[in-house]
Amino acid sequence: MSRVLTAVFNISFLLLQIDPRQILEESQRRTMTQSQHYEGTLRVIDAKSKITEKRWQYDRIGSHGSSKAVLRFTAPAEVKGVALLVLNHPDRSSDQWMWTPALNRDRRIALQDRSTRFFGTDFSFEDLEERDTNQFDFRLLSEESIDGASCWKVQSTPRQTKVSQYTHSYLWIREDNYAFAQIENYNKDQLVRRAHYSDIRNDQGIWTAHQIDMHDAKRNSHTILRIEKLQYNVPMKDDAFTREALSRES
Amino acid sequence: MMLLCLLSWPYLRRHLLRWILTVAGIVLGVGVFVAMHTANRSIFRAFDTTIGRIAGTTQLQVSAGEFGFDESILERVQSVPEVGVAVPVVEATVDTNIPGQGSILILGIDMTGDRSLRDYELKDADEAIIDDPLVFLAQPDSLMVTTEFAERNQLAVNSKVQLATIEGNREFTIRGLMNSAGMTRAFGGNLAVMDIYAAQQILGRGRRFDRIDVRAKEGITIDDCQAALKAALGPAFDVDPPSARGRHFEALLQSYSTAMMISSLFALMVGMFIIYNSFAIAVTHRRSEIGVLRALGATRHQIQTLFLVESIIAGTFGSILGASVGITAALVIAQWISSVLETAGGVAQRVSELEVDPTLIAAGVIAGITTSVVAAWIPARNAARVDPVQALQKGKYQVLSMGENRRRRWMALTAFLMASVCLLLSDSKPLFYTGYVAMMGAGLLLAPALTLFLSKGLRPVLRRLLPAEGTLAADSLVEAPRRTSATVSALMLSLAMVVGFGGFAHSFYSSIQEWMDNALNPDFFVAPSENLATRSLTFPAEISSVIERVDGVDQVQVVRDARVTYHEVPVMVIAIETEKVASTVHRTPVAGSLEEMNRLTAEGKGLFVSESFATNLKTKMADVVELPTPSGLLKLPIVGIIRDYSDLRGSLFIDRSVYRDWWKDDTVNIARVYVRKGQNVEAVRQRVIQTLSSRYRLLVLTNREVRDWIMKLLDQWFGMTYNQIVVAVLVAVLGIVNTLTVSITDRKRELGVMQAVGGLRSQIRWTVWIEALTIGVIGLILGTCLGAVNLYYTLGMIKRDLGGIGLDYIFPSAFMMLMVPIILGAAWIAALGPGEAAVRGSLVEALEYE
Repeated sequence: MSRVLTAVFNISFLLLQIDPRQILEESQRRTMTQSQHYEGTLRVIDAKSKITEKRWQYDRIGSHGSSKAVLRFTAPAEVKGVALLVLNHPDRSSDQWMWTPALNRDRRIALQDRSTRFFGTDFSFEDLEERDTNQFDFRLLSEESIDGASCWKVQSTPRQTKVSQYTHSYLWIREDNYAFAQIENYNKDQLVRRAHYSDIRNDQGIWTAHQIDMHDAKRNSHTILRIEKLQYNVPMKDDAFTREALSRES
Repeated sequence: MMLLCLLSWPYLRRHLLRWILTVAGIVLGVGVFVAMHTANRSIFRAFDTTIGRIAGTTQLQVSAGEFGFDESILERVQSVPEVGVAVPVVEATVDTNIPGQGSILILGIDMTGDRSLRDYELKDADEAIIDDPLVFLAQPDSLMVTTEFAERNQLAVNSKVQLATIEGNREFTIRGLMNSAGMTRAFGGNLAVMDIYAAQQILGRGRRFDRIDVRAKEGITIDDCQAALKAALGPAFDVDPPSARGRHFEALLQSYSTAMMISSLFALMVGMFIIYNSFAIAVTHRRSEIGVLRALGATRHQIQTLFLVESIIAGTFGSILGASVGITAALVIAQWISSVLETAGGVAQRVSELEVDPTLIAAGVIAGITTSVVAAWIPARNAARVDPVQALQKGKYQVLSMGENRRRRWMALTAFLMASVCLLLSDSKPLFYTGYVAMMGAGLLLAPALTLFLSKGLRPVLRRLLPAEGTLAADSLVEAPRRTSATVSALMLSLAMVVGFGGFAHSFYSSIQEWMDNALNPDFFVAPSENLATRSLTFPAEISSVIERVDGVDQVQVVRDARVTYHEVPVMVIAIETEKVASTVHRTPVAGSLEEMNRLTAEGKGLFVSESFATNLKTKMADVVELPTPSGLLKLPIVGIIRDYSDLRGSLFIDRSVYRDWWKDDTVNIARVYVRKGQNVEAVRQRVIQTLSSRYRLLVLTNREVRDWIMKLLDQWFGMTYNQIVVAVLVAVLGIVNTLTVSITDRKRELGVMQAVGGLRSQIRWTVWIEALTIGVIGLILGTCLGAVNLYYTLGMIKRDLGGIGLDYIFPSAFMMLMVPIILGAAWIAALGPGEAAVRGSLVEALEYE
């Protein structure tokens, strides 16, 4: 009994020593790249097990908090060319625009709309934003195992400057490579979404999950994003991440 | 109760037909009242339901009249801290091209954020039933319709449906079905939802929204949110709850419903006279009976109560029946008025069910019973005052009647003097209406004396026409003025109403004709819809130059118009190319100089308004009008007032350049096209159609077609006038049948003696017929005179309170000429039954009758 108490005491003592912000900053530092490119396959499985599949191409430029990203659908034919531009900011929520080639125009995704589902998937528009550590407060809760890997469990709470549909989130960060293993997003005490990261590989020195399973707790549906042809630090032009570029590229 | 059973019931059984006719008067009055009010309520409820259901949880709506506003306003609204949700909306009705379906309401919304405000109640409550939300947004032909609409037209997900858009007939794909509840019950289920940016394209909105639906942030009151939005956006924008949208529709409906209410009041008054007549006759006939009762100890109160209870019973029965008839007719009337309002006001709604208000029904029944009691009050009082001794003597009745006549004449004179004074002070609204009531009252009070006077006056004429029959008929009228005058009064009142409405219609038609001759003189018009009042579809400005290049076209004048709210009144702003219009339209202003008015307006230094605008908004020359626009408050002085009927509530004319600068919009509603001299108009028109039809959905209407459309609209609007004629004819028939029935009863012995001394049946029939025709003639004469007065007041009422329209006094002579054969024909028809009854009775019985 005393050994157990000692172990608990030691772990608690150790946890108290660890700054959760440092964990997140380290995780962010390890994934810092000039750019990112991948081709993704998005599979949506609804509550009745109906499956729909789409493909997109994702490009990102810049570092966490100040990055710019363009996500462009490549399949099926009905949605080919539809694109989303995300401009992240370190001190506030991102700006997002959607481009529709058939209408030849873009539309702004309002802040109020960020909680809505991203085109029928289980991701919301807010989930496509990049998180910068400065927009959150953190609290280290415990250590847990996810898929056999030991992880820090950190509670993340958005600061006043960050407009979010979530009141708080739990983040599981692997202790061995600081990659995300799982994220649970809550609204008060209700679980809204759970993102499970798997197939984590070392790509150009960056540990990256090649599969993200987003589960919508209320709808009981899943969206599985498989990342392929991932490349980091690919040369990209800054002006490819503007509203004008959306129309040009289509 | 005993008296009712012993006296009233046997009397009723003996004179069943008369009681039926008496009750019919109440049925008519209450039926019209209930039908009109139920129809109005149903129409407004349908419109309100559509607005409310579409609004969902929207608390406020940002709008700028019918012009809409630039998309950039959305960010301004979303950035207001008090705003929780702000969603842009585009809304319009378009033709479905499906036989029997008519139009459908298209709601263009931003699907990414709208679910916070509206619940589409998707079938199976699963968003996935929109097939694929991304496909829905990516494909601009995507549509969500209600299950009701789909089932009605055998449609399902992935079915195609054609809609008439500004770009022509286009095919859309149904990618979602909404359950028929909540929002989807708006517009009778003919509702479709599509992406807002796709809707902008098909409706020709460019980069404009119709409105923004807003919900306040949690913890913020609606009032605070409204104040914050008004402060952020300025006076150019209206920020109101969704229910305020009914303002214009209510204003449009109000003019119509006020006119209908007046009709129903007239109908009740007419019913009142019929009842008065019946009870007055009953009292006369039952004088002996009353005398006996009084002699046996019955009190005056008991006698009066007896007759009043009879009137209550008749009134109750008639009112309940009238309410039933009214409810039955209300749906048909509601649908008819809806179609008129859609055509006239461009505001669409569907009435598929009635909104029956028990309170209204109760009010109608109470009104009917009250009318019956009021009508029977004087006869009941007279019955109570019957002296038992005099009642059993013959001849005394006429002496009493003469005294009554004198009193009435004095009252009529007093009322006339009061009306004359009020006429002099008619600037005051209460005095105007007091004078109106006094004048009509004077006419009604004089009716018995005038009836007697005319009866005596017509006696020589009738004697000359048919010596025996004519004399008998005239004598019957002269000797029983009480019997005749009530019928004549009812007929007079009814005809006065007909003249009032008919005269108004005639004046209006005449004014509209003049307006069309002066202002609507292009050779043809290019419009996006058959309904010229529709403003939800617009063309791009380039259409002007495209049409001008067509061989044979001399000049094109483009117009952009839309309603805005000005001082809480919906008015029409019409942007014209003033210089061009001035060269082709020459009209005499009501105020100001034509040249000055056109010059200043063309230079953007002023605007001119319609007479109804000036009346309704109490403005005059040189007053500065402050118009809210997306660019701020546009302040321009009034430089002219004209007679214009583009909008009954009022219209303002500004130059197109001013409109473009301040509203930042260069779209067009209508193009007015003039053909070069010597060119064949139809050939040029066909060339225009060929040039434009591949690019736009449009109609090229000839001048004649536009005039016919306007006249058809007027015919619909004034359709009520013809209903008044029906009421008048019914009154004539009811009243005259009633009078003649009594007359024949009264003269049973006299007619029996005629037959006994060798009178032919045909002579007796002619006696009855001539009596009826004479009543008709007297009614026509008095009705025409009172109608002439009523027309004056009707036109005054319209100018003051029903649209502010100034119309010239034109007595509808041709219309009245038409009424002569109608009323006389009705009188003759009414006399057929009594005439036959007069000749077919037992001669012995007739001679024994006392």
